[in-house]
Amino acid sequence: MSAGPYNYSYIFKYIIIGDMGVGKSCLLHQFTEKKFMADCPHTIGVEFGTRIIEVSGQKIKLQIWDTAGQERFRAVTRSYYRGAAGALMVYDITRRSTYNHLSSWLTDTRNLTNPSTVIFLIGNKCDLDAQRDVTYEEASKFAEENGLMFVEASAKTGDNVEEAFLETAKKIYQSIQDGRLDLNAAESGVQHKPSQPGRNNLSNDQQGNKDNCAC
Amino acid sequence: MIVKKENEYMLSKRFNKVLETELEADEDTLEALKQLSTFYSENTLPSRRDLRSKIEKRSLDININLLSSFSKVKDTFMSIYNDIVEMNRCVDEITCKLQNSKQRSKALLQQTSMLYSGRNKNTVYQKIVSPFLNKVQLSPDESLILYGNQRSSSLTHATFSVLDKIQQIHNYSRILMRCGLQTVALDTMEHMVLHQEEALENIYRWTQNHCRYVDNLELTELIANAMSKLQDRPPLFRYIIDEYCVGRRSILVSAFIDALTKGGPSGKPAPIEMKAHDIQIYVTDMFVWLYKAISVEQQNLLQMLKFCDNIDSDFILDTLIKVCDGICQPLKIRIEKVLGVPTQAVILYSVLNLLRYYKKCICKILPRGSLENTLVNLQNMGEQVFFTTLQQEINNMFIKIESPVRDLVPTPAIHNLLALLRDMLSTANMNDGREIDMKKITQYIIEPLLRCVNEQASHLPALDMSIYTVNCIYDIFTCLSMFEFMDEFLERLQAQADAQIDNLTAEQASFLVANLNIGPIYTILQDSQREPLSTIPGMEPSNLQKFFLKLEQFITSPELTLLPQFDLLLSSKYKRVVEKRSREVVLAIYTQLFEAVNNPQNQYENPSSLCHKTPDELKESILL
Ligand SMILES: Nc1nc2c(ncn2[C@@H]2O[C@H](COP(=O)(O)OP(=O)(O)O)[C@@H](O)[C@H]2O)c(=O)[nH]1
Ligand SMILES: [Mg+2]
Repeated sequence: MSAGPYNYSYIFKYIIIGDMGVGKSCLLHQFTEKKFMADCPHTIGVEFGTRIIEVSGQKIKLQIWDTAGQERFRAVTRSYYRGAAGALMVYDITRRSTYNHLSSWLTDTRNLTNPSTVIFLIGNKCDLDAQRDVTYEEASKFAEENGLMFVEASAKTGDNVEEAFLETAKKIYQSIQDGRLDLNAAESGVQHKPSQPGRNNLSNDQQGNKDNCAC
Repeated sequence: MIVKKENEYMLSKRFNKVLETELEADEDTLEALKQLSTFYSENTLPSRRDLRSKIEKRSLDININLLSSFSKVKDTFMSIYNDIVEMNRCVDEITCKLQNSKQRSKALLQQTSMLYSGRNKNTVYQKIVSPFLNKVQLSPDESLILYGNQRSSSLTHATFSVLDKIQQIHNYSRILMRCGLQTVALDTMEHMVLHQEEALENIYRWTQNHCRYVDNLELTELIANAMSKLQDRPPLFRYIIDEYCVGRRSILVSAFIDALTKGGPSGKPAPIEMKAHDIQIYVTDMFVWLYKAISVEQQNLLQMLKFCDNIDSDFILDTLIKVCDGICQPLKIRIEKVLGVPTQAVILYSVLNLLRYYKKCICKILPRGSLENTLVNLQNMGEQVFFTTLQQEINNMFIKIESPVRDLVPTPAIHNLLALLRDMLSTANMNDGREIDMKKITQYIIEPLLRCVNEQASHLPALDMSIYTVNCIYDIFTCLSMFEFMDEFLERLQAQADAQIDNLTAEQASFLVANLNIGPIYTILQDSQREPLSTIPGMEPSNLQKFFLKLEQFITSPELTLLPQFDLLLSSKYKRVVEKRSREVVLAIYTQLFEAVNNPQNQYENPSSLCHKTPDELKESILL
């Protein structure tokens, strides 16, 4: 990578959330490496991945945080929500419990991210249709009710994985075009390139316009 | 009568004559008289009578005298005459002989001139022919060079000049052939072919025995020349090359073994295996020796074949590969042994790099073949052993992860791992293919490192968790940013730090807001339905006064309103960022408030006495 420091115009930050074992790490791996990693180790805290995509002719770098689903890492993973422009909320279509926990994940996301954060619901493991425990319709309805985008995908076959990440990016890009998303806000989860290497760069102090109050 | 008369006359006449004679004038008479005087001494009658006889007698005497004299003369004359006759005869004979020889010399002359012109012609012929012969025949000396030393089996440079000449003659013959002189040409060619075969056979035998000593300076040129001659006989040439490979291979192997076990002449330099306990030195020495030896072999081969013109680089390479074949096994055994001994990853890494470096050097000379193969295998093995060892070392470090202490600095385990990473990267940094290595090593270490940090952080309260994470990231970042090719990791670290800084900023901003008690004011300001603000409880001037007082305190000593944990942030830069950004939050609220107070709609009396700082003034005192 790094062929020319900034061969992209934006950075979008994503988080992937959902219960343990629903396939979050596999989805990230499938998206960044285009490979299925069957024996993926448990995620400890967070993992990181990047990929450059193109939306409406603009090169966009996605910085994706893959979080651990385990409760004991909740404090750690929560600290990565704040700056997310996109949240991929994943459940496993073969395990109902992972679907049932979605509302709690959604509440967390809504509380910790800003209103413009795009939330995308992914029903993973759609390759295991025979073991399906959650119907498409049910999940689809849930998504609609909560204003989420939704696909069923498979990290194994790669079905809809690309789409989920790209659709999310398109929606974020749309928000920027519409002016709904303030690029100057530190926690918008979007950075404009190529002005600075990073907001808090250790070797480059800089002015960050902050207009957000935690109260 | 007449006769008388006549007598008379005669007498008269005589008289006269006597009388007329003038004696004194007549010399003859005088002479006669004188003579007479000599013998007529007395004038006497007898005498006179005698006179006559006397005179006659005297005359007779004289005549007799004369006669005898004349007869003598005549004899003499006759003998002269005879002589002359004889002479004449001789002269005649001579003349005849002369005539003969004249005839003969004429023929001779003719012959001579014929021969002479023949000789001229021949001289011209010779002038033409002898250079020709020189050109199309070997001189005796040359033949001697070619055949004379057959038994002594020695070769000199002269041999090659002769061979060159033979070749030249061949070429001439071809010209002759074209000129229509087929017989001469074919003849010459046939001769030359024989010479050539014989000479090549000699050269072949000599070279077969000597080719392995090509590094002997006295032989180098000869061998090179021999090879250039032999290249016209592919089978012979191949035999020599085979012989050469076998010879050099065994020389090389035994030299290698000697260098390892015996050292140089009289133990200097010391045998390489003496330093086997320090594997870096051991491996280095071994490869230095090897690389040099292989370069020398390459030079030898190039020297040997330097006059061969239809040799391609592939052939040279193939030959060199065969020469170096024998080294593989002893080298392999030793390197495998080195890699088999448990060693620190850092040391293994430098050994690996030695392997790679020398593999690269050697493969520049030998880009394929068994040695290249061996080196590739050894390098792969080195890589594998290294990464396994590294993994093992990392795992050992993580057997027990301590929880962070209260000062929230990275724990010793983190430090150790970072130290390992730094060591590795410093070593890796000097390599050629360092990018891949450095990335791979960093990947190997940083993944478990970050997992470890996450794990440790997960046991801490939120604020401590962020600070601890930032502190660890800061250390890792500082370490990695000293090296090239770390962008990918730095990006990740930066993103992680950013996320935590956002959290810290939010915490600090909430703390400030709570401290200055502007929470309620902010909430009211956000409310869009507009009654005059001054009438809303909490926004009355007296209440605002309290806030401005607090703000004044904050301006004079802002450090008092910093979360105490922030002192634990290792990076002062991060600390400044958080402070600044949280103050920006205060400034933003103040700006809103200022505008509201100064908005007549909100019915504040005397707004300037209430808010006596403009937002810009506040910005100046807390942000710049
Ligand atoms: N059949 C199938 N298995 C999957 C799929 N995605 C993930 N898995 C498996 O589900 C398990 C958990 O995946 P992982 O990505 O670690 O889940 P995470 O805890 O959410 O990160 C692994 O054993 C994967 O092989 C998928 O799309 N189809
Ligand atoms: Mg995972």
